Amino acid sequence: MGLISGILMGMIFGISLMAGWRHMMRYRSTKRIAKAADIKVLGSLSRDDLKKICGDNFPEWISFPVYEQVKWLNKQLSKLWPSVAEAASAVIKESVEPLLEEYRPPGITSLKFSKLTLGTVAPKIEGIRVQSLKKGQIIMDIDFRWGGDPSIILGVEAALVASIPIQLKDLQVFTVIRVIFQLAEEIPCISAVVVALLAEPKPRIDYTLKAVGGSLTAIPGLSDMIDDTVDSIVTDMLQWPHRIVVPIGGTPVDTSELELKPEGKLTVTVVKANDLKNMEMIGKSDPYVAVHIRPLFKVKTKVVDNNLNPVWNQTFELIVEDRETQALTVEVYDQDIGQDKRLGIAKFRLIDLEPETPKEVTLNLLSSLDTLKVKDKKDRGSCTIKLLYHRFSKEEQLAALEEEKRILEERKRLKEAGVIGSTMDAVGSGVGMVGTGIGAGVGLVGSGVVGGVGLVGSGLGAVGSGLSKAGKFMGRTITGHSSKRSGSSTPVNSIQENGGAKPL
Amino acid sequence: MGFISTVLGFCGFGVGISAGLVIGYYLFIYFQPSDVKDPEIRPLVEQDSETLQRMLPEIPLWIKNPDYDRVDWLNKFLEYMWPHLDKAICATAKNIAKPIIEEQIPKYKIDAVEFETLTLGSLPPTFQGMKVYVTEEKELIMEPLIKWAGNPNVTIAVKAFGLKATVQVVDLQVFALPRITLKPLVPSFPCFANIYVSLMDKPHVDFGLKLVGADLMSIPGLYRFVQELIKDQVANMYLWPKTLQVPILDPAKAFKRPVGVLHVKVVRAMKLKKKDLLGASDPYVKLKLTEDKLPSRKTTVKHKNLNPEWNEEFDIVVKDPETQALELRVYDWEQVGRHDKMGLNVIPLKELTPEEPKTFTLDLLKNMDLNDAQNEKSRGQLVVELTYKPFKDDEIPTTFVESKEVQKAPESTPDGGGVLVVIIHEAQDVEGKHHTNPYVRVLFRGEEKKTKHVKKNRDPRWEEEFSFMLDEPPTNDKLHVEVHSSSSSRIGLLHPKESLGYVDINLSDVVNNKRINERYHLIDSKNGKIQVELQWRTK
Repeated sequence: MGLISGILMGMIFGISLMAGWRHMMRYRSTKRIAKAADIKVLGSLSRDDLKKICGDNFPEWISFPVYEQVKWLNKQLSKLWPSVAEAASAVIKESVEPLLEEYRPPGITSLKFSKLTLGTVAPKIEGIRVQSLKKGQIIMDIDFRWGGDPSIILGVEAALVASIPIQLKDLQVFTVIRVIFQLAEEIPCISAVVVALLAEPKPRIDYTLKAVGGSLTAIPGLSDMIDDTVDSIVTDMLQWPHRIVVPIGGTPVDTSELELKPEGKLTVTVVKANDLKNMEMIGKSDPYVAVHIRPLFKVKTKVVDNNLNPVWNQTFELIVEDRETQALTVEVYDQDIGQDKRLGIAKFRLIDLEPETPKEVTLNLLSSLDTLKVKDKKDRGSCTIKLLYHRFSKEEQLAALEEEKRILEERKRLKEAGVIGSTMDAVGSGVGMVGTGIGAGVGLVGSGVVGGVGLVGSGLGAVGSGLSKAGKFMGRTITGHSSKRSGSSTPVNSIQENGGAKPL
Repeated sequence: MGFISTVLGFCGFGVGISAGLVIGYYLFIYFQPSDVKDPEIRPLVEQDSETLQRMLPEIPLWIKNPDYDRVDWLNKFLEYMWPHLDKAICATAKNIAKPIIEEQIPKYKIDAVEFETLTLGSLPPTFQGMKVYVTEEKELIMEPLIKWAGNPNVTIAVKAFGLKATVQVVDLQVFALPRITLKPLVPSFPCFANIYVSLMDKPHVDFGLKLVGADLMSIPGLYRFVQELIKDQVANMYLWPKTLQVPILDPAKAFKRPVGVLHVKVVRAMKLKKKDLLGASDPYVKLKLTEDKLPSRKTTVKHKNLNPEWNEEFDIVVKDPETQALELRVYDWEQVGRHDKMGLNVIPLKELTPEEPKTFTLDLLKNMDLNDAQNEKSRGQLVVELTYKPFKDDEIPTTFVESKEVQKAPESTPDGGGVLVVIIHEAQDVEGKHHTNPYVRVLFRGEEKKTKHVKKNRDPRWEEEFSFMLDEPPTNDKLHVEVHSSSSSRIGLLHPKESLGYVDINLSDVVNNKRINERYHLIDSKNGKIQVELQWRTK
């Protein structure tokens, strides 16, 4: 009797013990899960949520802008700036000087930075926005503002004139940098980084040029030439849709998806121009037209002598990479002894074009595209062009890519042989380097910030590797740059080749 | 009878309890699902006031405190990246654990240990606020509040003697407030040499540990015990002021500090070319290390000699023996006008073995371009003897090691005395009426020292160090620090000099504290400030 009741009681006790345990398990588990859910919800609060939590005691210092403010990052950046400035100026000097050498026009024998310091004013990050528009990609937009006081002096040695140091003063950069991270499933989880400047709002890069111990007016048009070239290089190399793709991590990755690729073909027929301005003292202008989508691929018509209403009827084909944002630039020049004079310029946005439908447009010529710089309101005539946009199929795209590569190789060869002076067209090539210098500078600062972000983002253990990656990233940026131009057979280059080399 | 029945009853209870536990286990626990589900997350707007009440303690710090910054963009970034990070981390963990397990299991007669599941779950860690501290020192300090309430699922299956047992970790929650300090700041990327991490609070840790399906952590009392144990263990290691140091850069390399001395003996030159119209050349040699900002060293001029013998010795400080090279240039001295180049050559320092003298006989070249035809021409030869002596470890100047301790004064310091070191870091908002080319004058006991001029800058940075040798502590003395501006143009007769403000610093504090690094408001200046570091070094 005792045995049975003992067994029974024992069993009941045991089972209830287990039941109690399970109850505790459930209780603790739901508590933990509820807490996890709470933290998740509170991790991404919106204004309405906060209103609901706080009621009338809504904290006044809180706002929810699209671009989130990063005061802490700015504080850190200004503290870190002296070190960054010193490190970056060495890196810029090392990486940009070979570029300067390469982009040196024939008239100039030597081109070097005689001085390069980034000044004492640190850049500010006005805000950061993170979004993911495509799976496996994170887009980070950084509102970047730098009204710095760098001291950049370019030593220009021309064959005819002695050394002219040109100083770049009061450099100001206001732009939104878009950084796209391509995610991967291996540490460091980022296989490539794409850096570009957003086209909207338009990047603003201001500076004043000063010839040290002399006057810029000694060489007429130099200042305008520099401005134009800086602008075209920024728009052609850095401004969206153009971009710099930097593969990260040891394993080679296919970055061709990220690269800008030929998307279609634009057939341009330059028909005629009317009422051009006469720039010649004797007789009339000798006009010709140069059209381009990207300044690197500029084509010219033949020259019509002594005519203010010339007819050309010449047809060209240009490659289009991104119809949404790119534009066709039409420039009319007057051929002259020495520097050709520009009679007018006009722009046509490709988005206004229907694929496969021919269109004829008459563009009014302006003296400059920058409306602030237009000095007179005089009519500069008009230019008539016929346009046809053709979207590429897959095969055509590949062929176009090959062709583009071939043209650049050819030009490089010619340049090495000394036939042409620069990979850029002769117009304004002499001052290309200024823009490159700035571009690289921006890139460096951008990546510095990215490095910092990576540091915070990854766990403590990954901090070290993240940093060394940041360091490597820097290195890669530079190798990427130089190999793009030198055409050496580094791995970076091969990646860029299969993705479509985009030199400038 | 009663006794036997009681004994039997106890025995029965014993048997029954084991049976009951087994039955209970199978009834209630064995069939519990062992997988981890994503928690159901409802938008906050839908939740009732009771849940809101429960949430209040978890409100992020940036809402409560205005000095914490919101870093939701970072949270978003992490959220997008998390699935990839999860896979990457788990794969790495598995790869690391595998060889260790394989090495260990034969010792314990276990057949296999393997991860049945390994995932960090769908919830990423979140930053609940970020605070940075600004100090006068060369360091960056930030304090993020990290909360990770995740739903990871780590199941380890152990097989032995044909049986299988599983250990499962679920619902890991870690809340921590680390302080991350980056220092010292160095002028090469990534711009800091070390990361120091320490915890400002004991971290909160919570998790479920299921042994064969039953959660041990839910046994009353055990959870608290384990939690306290973990907290104390972690706190022992990393709770402030204890820190975890992660070296990133070797500060010696980053700063390019001297690592050795190059001993150069310029012996002689042979068959130099005649450059002067009348008589032979007057040669001398200039020596310089590449990437060195120091002025070159020169030998004496040997007049009218095409085979001069100098036998002169020089010591040059080396910063990086791997990349630096010694440049030797032979010039022809002239009474008037520019000295002519007679030829040059370069010796990379990596060709030298430390502590071993090596003699070089160099052909002088026109330039360093190997393909230049002009180099074919003979320009004579130069004989030099080089010895590279690296510093011993204890000889390396250790100023850059961020030692909290103030350095020792040199041996020659008199007893009771010491060295007063003044480091002028930077100034802010200094402005002159006519020009702002600031420099600093430091006056102490009639002795005056000056920094370099910084041209046209309201926020100049000098980073210059001065020292004064003293016989006794300067307890009753004052240090006069004055910011001046001098006209940059040579014709600045109208306003040649201008004072931008001054400050008098009492030195008794320095003697007591050994080191003071502070920002002082300037007198006679609108808004100007100057950062001065003072050290009192004794033997």
